[in-house]
Amino acid sequence: MAITEPRTTGRAPEPQPHWLIQWLTTTDHKRIGILYLLNSFAFFFVAGVFALLMRSELAEPGRQLVTTNGYNQLFTLHGTLMIFLFIMPVLFGFGNYLVPLQIGALDMAFPRINALSFWLLPVGGLTILSGLLAKGGAAAAGWTSYAPVSEQGGAGQDLWIVGLVVVGTASILSAINFIVTILRLRAPGMTMTRLPVFVWSMLATSLLALLATPVLTAGLIMLFADRRLGAYFFNPAHGGDVLLWQHVFWFFGHPEVYMLILGAWGIVSEILPVFSGRPLFGYPGVILAFVLITALSFSVWAHHMFVTGQVEFPFFSATTELISIPTGVLFFNWLATLWRGRLRFEPPMLFALGFIALFLVGGVDGIWMASPAMDFAIHDTYWVVAHIHYVLFGGTVFGIMAASYYWFPKITGRLLSRKLGYWHFWLMFLGFNLTFFPMHELGLRGMPRRVADYLPDLGWSFLNQVATAGSFVIAVSLVVFLVNVALTLRRPRTAAADPWEGNTLEWATSSPPPVHNFDRLPEVRSNRPVWDLRQRRPAEEQA
Amino acid sequence: MTALDLTRDERTVRRTSGPVLGMVLFVASEAMFFATFFGAYFTIYSVNPVWPPAGFPRLEPGLAAILTAVLVTSSVTLQLGVRAIRRDRTRTLLRWLGLTILLGVCFLGLQLYDYSQLGFGVRDGIFGSLFYVMTGLHMAHVFGGVVFLVLVLVQGLGGQLSDASHDSLEAGAIYWHFVDVVWICLFTTFYLAGLS
Amino acid sequence: MVAPRVARVGLAGLAGALLAGCAKQGATVQGQQIHDLYVLIIILAAPVFLGVEGALLWCVLRYRRRRGSDDGPVPQGAGGPRSLGVFFAIPTVIVAFFFLYGERTLADVQRREPNPAVELRIDSFQWQWTFYYLNEGFFVTGRTLTKEPVIALPVGAPVHVRLEARDVVHEFYVPEFLFMRNALPGRPNEFSFTPTRIGTFRGQCAEFCGLHHDQMRFVLKVVSQADYAAWVEQTRKAAQHVDCDPSGPLRLVSKDNSWNTGCLAVVASGPFVVSVSNLDAGIEHNFAVYDKPQRKRTYFQSPRFVGVAEQTFQLRPLPKGRYYFECDVHGPAMSGTLIVK
Repeated sequence: MAITEPRTTGRAPEPQPHWLIQWLTTTDHKRIGILYLLNSFAFFFVAGVFALLMRSELAEPGRQLVTTNGYNQLFTLHGTLMIFLFIMPVLFGFGNYLVPLQIGALDMAFPRINALSFWLLPVGGLTILSGLLAKGGAAAAGWTSYAPVSEQGGAGQDLWIVGLVVVGTASILSAINFIVTILRLRAPGMTMTRLPVFVWSMLATSLLALLATPVLTAGLIMLFADRRLGAYFFNPAHGGDVLLWQHVFWFFGHPEVYMLILGAWGIVSEILPVFSGRPLFGYPGVILAFVLITALSFSVWAHHMFVTGQVEFPFFSATTELISIPTGVLFFNWLATLWRGRLRFEPPMLFALGFIALFLVGGVDGIWMASPAMDFAIHDTYWVVAHIHYVLFGGTVFGIMAASYYWFPKITGRLLSRKLGYWHFWLMFLGFNLTFFPMHELGLRGMPRRVADYLPDLGWSFLNQVATAGSFVIAVSLVVFLVNVALTLRRPRTAAADPWEGNTLEWATSSPPPVHNFDRLPEVRSNRPVWDLRQRRPAEEQA
Repeated sequence: MTALDLTRDERTVRRTSGPVLGMVLFVASEAMFFATFFGAYFTIYSVNPVWPPAGFPRLEPGLAAILTAVLVTSSVTLQLGVRAIRRDRTRTLLRWLGLTILLGVCFLGLQLYDYSQLGFGVRDGIFGSLFYVMTGLHMAHVFGGVVFLVLVLVQGLGGQLSDASHDSLEAGAIYWHFVDVVWICLFTTFYLAGLS
Repeated sequence: MVAPRVARVGLAGLAGALLAGCAKQGATVQGQQIHDLYVLIIILAAPVFLGVEGALLWCVLRYRRRRGSDDGPVPQGAGGPRSLGVFFAIPTVIVAFFFLYGERTLADVQRREPNPAVELRIDSFQWQWTFYYLNEGFFVTGRTLTKEPVIALPVGAPVHVRLEARDVVHEFYVPEFLFMRNALPGRPNEFSFTPTRIGTFRGQCAEFCGLHHDQMRFVLKVVSQADYAAWVEQTRKAAQHVDCDPSGPLRLVSKDNSWNTGCLAVVASGPFVVSVSNLDAGIEHNFAVYDKPQRKRTYFQSPRFVGVAEQTFQLRPLPKGRYYFECDVHGPAMSGTLIVK
């Protein structure tokens, strides 16, 4: 239950229920945030194991490890779980923990709905995974589940549909919570123009989730109706339209990918200033870029459909190319933040810099696909696989790692080992590039996506071996991360309130914060209230 | 000053309450949900040279017009209830609210009757699919709205509603009016627009 | 911290080398136009990429905090409207140029050939292709998991394609043509191309289409005009020379969406029985007999039934001659000749 009374000194603490009950029934945004993070990382590791199985199968031509049906389930589950059960929720998880702190609030606007939003996630995720036990196996039509192929297949596909409806509902409820919290519960003095960039990014993400996720839900209902209720939405023999699925899915799908990156942009925009000792360059421009990208993201969807030959090419290639402009502005602002700064290479900063280097690759290789004629050559090949992993992994996952190291002390009261952090970063950077850079070339050589096998005489084998080797290096880097977390959690809680010399309000309270978040809120006069505080009272705050 | 006091201060400065804003946002998401189906309808219409497809009747607006009248009236009665509680007239509210719920249940019953008279089902081609899925989802939303309003009624009967505190009713009213608007769009599309 | 620089310089160099060197030329007129666009994009993207990565590297090197030499406060300037304007202007210019050039290439690639030398109707289904040569009057078909179709086209002559799908979305993709296009059930697609190079080109389905998506391959040979004429003749004759002898009960078995035989023969004496065994679990097949592949006249058509199952059909007597049989669900990939002797 929500604890709404601040604890005052001099009163003996009441007897607490068992810790398991506490965690199962909590409505405290900090604990819910931690639950989100734990659930998300669990699905990350499951989906990661699926990726390792896929890469192991593809290392050599010929079938070694899994059946074709097995492989098709693996790539479907890998994509679905990574996107819906890892990346989306982990960003909401950091948001849950940090947004109320960063705006100086006590909790989210609707704490019980917050708890519900979380618990729907493992339910939805396990529903999708339970398809592995169904006759015929789990869903095997890709995370994009194109009709009519997704109208074939057994109960696994239905479980996928139901699981995603549940997860989508969780997203929508979360989005409402974030928007109301951010608009209504800001501390005095925190106007919208002084909002931390991470909070802006969560606001934008929530707007997208609010408006785009219902479109997916509608599409999933149509698909289910076709599969089990005798409807014909996607069946041309009875008046339906195959292309309708793609339009509905991508109208959701493109805003979805921005939901997957905005949070990371916010995180990086928080970390770079702290470890450069400078303010974020062009804060208004960064916010403007977020707003423009959020709006424009609804106008580009059919660039996923150029190869259907049935969409309005000039409009969608224009909007797709336009959206690269505010994205470019972000890069310039980040670089200008580093410029003339005093850079400290702690692990959060390493991952943030790695983010810039790698997200740039993903952004640039997307340029090729924005032009329809060029897209005809590389769509549906491994070039696209390279692109999506550079933006989602090189981008968002590196951002998530940065956030993990940055906010770990705030959440747990302990600093992660810097040395292990360096090992983690370099192994991940190396492994990631080994895995995904060769995929650009594989795409140019004609290797299509979603193939369980390939012929030995096509010249694809060596690059596939390199990619597989890289994937295991990534796995090792994640083991290093887990070891770091495990060892650190055994140490005592000695982290200071503000170990990094941060800018935003979460660093004005203890690590971890008390249940009621703040004993005393500093005055908010800019978008860097804790930096301001340090300038006014340096001796006291650097203790 | 504790953080709790600070946030309370902040909240009193705003005029719209959190729950009402939350409902507005929820309705926005529901609008996108239904918009997707209307988008599907018009996409399918544009790829079918004959509409409605062969074998489907032109839908008669008669009973549907009664359904529309019932739902529009229920929005009026609900809004009269909202006005009543804003003036702290709880008993008046409860009467208007009860009438609204009755009209809502009426709508559901009449719609089921209409279904039974139609002569085609979901499986009878794309028109059947669109009609039943769209109106069926709408019915589910009306049902949800009725349940919500019943819970508000229970709150009112328990004396928990007043001019200063009736967020649940305001939120419920926003949702109900939205469901009404969706019906008007469905009615226009399926029964009136000469498309069917 | 030497390593960040090494890694980033390495990354940039690798990017440049690989991307510039490895694009194929494109074995059609349209493919060459797409290749030119590819090169243009490299020219636009490389400075952006190298510039940003370079600036990043430079900041990492130049502005790292050196221990023990904190020279005073760090500059806190955060820019204003002018820098914002510049940041917006730079990508806008690049994008404008890129858009216009891309539109031009698109128009060239999309242009429909008014006088094609070869007209193909390509039919796709789970999990193979059938190529109908409309003017030459024959088809070449693959059989799922069993046979990849090999087709020929004359070099330097425009080809027009009408691309269709029977069941789910597929995609016609020839990597060396730098081209792919979806085959959508209910929405035929049309496109043209002119091969410019003699050679053997592999093609594959590029849109995930179910279980055996990765095996849905074909081979496309571009040959000289003379060789093409010879191939046409040869293929036409081969279709007419299918023969087998009536020997015992007629039995068709379907496995992996392919019949066990392409030839059935029966003596013209009276009604006859055909037993059809469908070993493809969950997949529908049927058995139908027509006069020719064009299916102007239907002699028999069984209902569709789902595997695994076996059904027996009785056909009324047919006059002597050659007939075309197929499974209607899968078309020519599951077809053959029925000879009544």
